[in-house]
Amino acid sequence: MAPPRTYRCEAIILGYTPLGEADLLVTMYTWDQGKVIAVGKGARRSTSKLVGHLEPLTMVRMSMAHGRSMDIISQAEVVQSFSVLKEDLLTITKGLYLAELVDGFGAEESPNPELFRLMIDTLRAVEDNPESDMPLRFFEFHLLQVSGLMPELYHCVECREELEPDAHRFSPNVGGTLCLDCSPDDAHLRPLSLRALKVLRLLDRSEISKACKLSVDKSLADELRSLLSTTVGYWLGKEIRSNSFLDRLNNESLPGVYT
Amino acid sequence: MARLVQELNRLPGIGPKSAQRLAYYIIRLPDDDAYALADAVTSVKQNIVFCEECQNLTDASPCQVCSDPRRDQTIICVVEDPLDVLAMERTRTFRGLYHVLHGVISPINGIGPDQLKLKELFSRLERPEIVEMVVATNPTLEGEATAMYIRRHQGQEGLKVTHLARGLPVGGSLEYSDETTLTRAFQGRQEI
Repeated sequence: MAPPRTYRCEAIILGYTPLGEADLLVTMYTWDQGKVIAVGKGARRSTSKLVGHLEPLTMVRMSMAHGRSMDIISQAEVVQSFSVLKEDLLTITKGLYLAELVDGFGAEESPNPELFRLMIDTLRAVEDNPESDMPLRFFEFHLLQVSGLMPELYHCVECREELEPDAHRFSPNVGGTLCLDCSPDDAHLRPLSLRALKVLRLLDRSEISKACKLSVDKSLADELRSLLSTTVGYWLGKEIRSNSFLDRLNNESLPGVYT
Repeated sequence: MARLVQELNRLPGIGPKSAQRLAYYIIRLPDDDAYALADAVTSVKQNIVFCEECQNLTDASPCQVCSDPRRDQTIICVVEDPLDVLAMERTRTFRGLYHVLHGVISPINGIGPDQLKLKELFSRLERPEIVEMVVATNPTLEGEATAMYIRRHQGQEGLKVTHLARGLPVGGSLEYSDETTLTRAFQGRQEI
């Protein structure tokens, strides 16, 4: 029996690019098929039934049809629009940072429901904690985990000795934390403070809601941001482009709400 | 032939197969038509410049709109692309000036404020005669983000900053509208 020509899925829209006169090439991450790139026919026309349903950072229920080279979006209905997140420039940029990472780590025809759930949970956490960067740190850490790249935090990756409660070193290249006695020749090696190690372990063991309640000072926040975004960038193998704009906004002290 | 295919292949939306088809089409064109095409490409590169005021593409700077004394010099409408100016002009309802950003902030694509004509906009806004800025970026996530950035960084006290109304398109359908559009349509409802 021939496979069905249409199928339904739930997806989070990651982004789109214009295609032809009025179409969109939409990149989305689905619950059961991983990353999907599909065509929204006529979606750029203001009267299209798809318009407004395909905006990035929107959770959508889709009807899709298998096309010759690419699937076609036949229907789309918003499940969750994350409208609060979209009212502020900083939270939008945080959301786009997440979308860029999911686009980079997600693969076509390779479902990872945990990554889908992580994305949704983190977007909600960004809405609930707009001032905090902890949702992003939680996302980066668990992105590595659900991608099979979880860094070692409890034993030295070289000598396998249990780590003492002390400052250590960290390298994504060797897979996590190193004790001070082990010093491999590694360009990615960097210091890891005890406070940062404790936060990483907390991220490992906590639910996102609990992790987001954690308040850290600026120096620790900077260390965590640098460590985790560098590690994610290392595995992604390319520059995370939204990071520079995010850093720029974080360094500004202007009010963010647009009314 | 290979060079022509290669050059056509660099155009947006043109893949290798389309580039080959276009190249063969150009070869089969009558000489006059092919030279007219080449002349148009050369001419546009030689003669089209950015308007020193609104940054729109023009063959003379300042452009026709900016140098028209009948236009309202106190209001600036900020749009993403030159095509948006044409769309606005077709309405014949706006008689002020424009400012073309040539894109939107798109963090995922590495396009930040420095790649847009924002510095020129903020400089124009310092003129005392400007009393209103209409931010007419598209109602997309990146268009809204750009509008927020402009709102956030324009430093003129007392400047009225507005954006175009959000809501249902003429010929659209309530049934297929997304919740954000409907919410904004309700918020912007008008007495009839």
